[in-house]
Amino acid sequence: MKMYNLSAADIVRGVRAGTFSAEACAAGVLDRIRAVEPDVRAFLHWDPDAVMQRAEELDRLPADTKARLPLLGVPVAVKDNMLTRQMPTTAGSRILGGFRSPYDATVVERIEQAGAIVVGKTNLDEFAMGSSTEHSAFQVTRNPWDVSRVPGGSSGGSAAAVAARMVPLALGSDTGGSIRQPAAFCGVMGLKPTYGRVSRYGLIAFASSLDQIGPFARTVEDMALMMQVIAGPDPRDSTALDAPAPAFRPRPGGLAGLRIGLPAEYYGEGIDPRIRDVMDQTLDRLRDLGVELVPISLPHTAYAIATYYLVAPAEASSNLSRYDGVRYGLRVADRDLVTMYEETRAEGFGDEVKRRILLGTHALSAGYYDAYYLKAQKVRSLIRQDFEQAFRSVDFVVTPTTPDLPFTLGERSDDPLKMYLSDIFTVTANLAGIPGVSVPAGLADGLPVGLQWLAPALAEEALLGAVHEFCRHLPPVSWPMEEDGDGR
Amino acid sequence: MDPMAGGGYPLALSEQEVRHVARLARLRLDAREVEGLARDLNRVLEYMRQLNELDTESVEPTWQVVPQAAPLRADALAPSLPVDAAVANAPEVVDGMFVVPRIIEGDADA
Repeated sequence: MKMYNLSAADIVRGVRAGTFSAEACAAGVLDRIRAVEPDVRAFLHWDPDAVMQRAEELDRLPADTKARLPLLGVPVAVKDNMLTRQMPTTAGSRILGGFRSPYDATVVERIEQAGAIVVGKTNLDEFAMGSSTEHSAFQVTRNPWDVSRVPGGSSGGSAAAVAARMVPLALGSDTGGSIRQPAAFCGVMGLKPTYGRVSRYGLIAFASSLDQIGPFARTVEDMALMMQVIAGPDPRDSTALDAPAPAFRPRPGGLAGLRIGLPAEYYGEGIDPRIRDVMDQTLDRLRDLGVELVPISLPHTAYAIATYYLVAPAEASSNLSRYDGVRYGLRVADRDLVTMYEETRAEGFGDEVKRRILLGTHALSAGYYDAYYLKAQKVRSLIRQDFEQAFRSVDFVVTPTTPDLPFTLGERSDDPLKMYLSDIFTVTANLAGIPGVSVPAGLADGLPVGLQWLAPALAEEALLGAVHEFCRHLPPVSWPMEEDGDGR
Repeated sequence: MDPMAGGGYPLALSEQEVRHVARLARLRLDAREVEGLARDLNRVLEYMRQLNELDTESVEPTWQVVPQAAPLRADALAPSLPVDAAVANAPEVVDGMFVVPRIIEGDADA
């Protein structure tokens, strides 16, 4: 049995039943990482010795303890913007080189208490600002389906690690699409939960009103398993909602009778024709399953990118003011305090981060605040109202996750506006605070195409149930980077 | 300068204004960066101009995206980070305190 092909749910069942040990599973997973990581470069840090030690500890637990651990023996990769005491945390930035957190993020604490094994920290665009993982200060991660292409971003390392079957589950964060877009590019599933569904304590802040942590997986059941562990209130995050974790229930009676909205604004110009073909097939399949497809309009969609790229950089410019060379991270020494700040930040931040800090600082500065930031927050209300209106007549909204297929390394890195525009289908869920999931819809020219499902706030349970039902009817997937062609 | 002089929409940023914003953000930029960033920012801000097509006079801004009161935690005593752990990552520490360059003029021994 190839351990790396197992889902998280399979691993929990196998270790619990004694079919195989957590140690045997961890050893199989480490062999897989050694085989494919040199080509993918998903991890900024991973620690084989700590993984084996942790697996041995889990194997020694009494059977009744094992029976209670929902992630028993499951190897999990964590995006490197979530704090870990046992491993470095860099957020992909030189300014946090050498930083070791004195505490764990709530999500890290919760998955470890649930019996998971944190395998390592995954690569990201610096401070999660980017859509390709090329803006990491340390390395470029490759798409496992075609290593000359980007994995998407900013959670590109986590998405690539799951797609290359280095781990069955990973954590990412999504501020404007940073889970769903790399999930689409890497052909895996990725869920951005409702804003506040998962605690952000210990997540390095990018844009606090938009940031949300969520899972990557290869099955819907595994996404739900992870959500049950990480969701729920947290006394250390006052924005973490007092709502119980979503249960996982396959939708009874299949998809018949479901009403799915197709917003005209997401099916217009600018979509790669190969994605359009896959979408057409997908919509036919949904219709065959008894879904009622309802044409709808989300009329403020065209303003979403302008709104997002004012709100997010404004909040980022404030959040990133903490990197000043005083309490942690890089310091470029100088005799004068202000010069020390300026030199430290000039040296420590990359170009994209500087660009967004300047954009955000400008949008918040005296004389410009009303024209930019306040205006954007008002348009955000209109975008939110579009969705409230739509969900009065449909259960879900279904769209392509991205307008483009995974692009080649270096293709977009010189054109910030073009990079921003490619986030058009994902930023709306963050602005509206609603959950969105990307699931694989098929391949076009050998590259994955993602299908995005959007749902009303806190409707994750119904969303995962419906998506699970949809995925049961997809043709079987053969995953990339097969070693000897015998797959699964 | 009146930033609204461009007919309800701010004018393009000059390189001097980019330097001013960089100063506010405590970022040193070299001349080449100023030039590149002025170009990038103006292109992006030009794109933002479309928001002005919308009449938002009577629209409330979104300050809180999920309309649910922030849950309160119990007001209970709990241990905080020990000082040693809190300063362990600092570039310079003396007696459990963060050290920064002198900001008050005077004799070093005073």
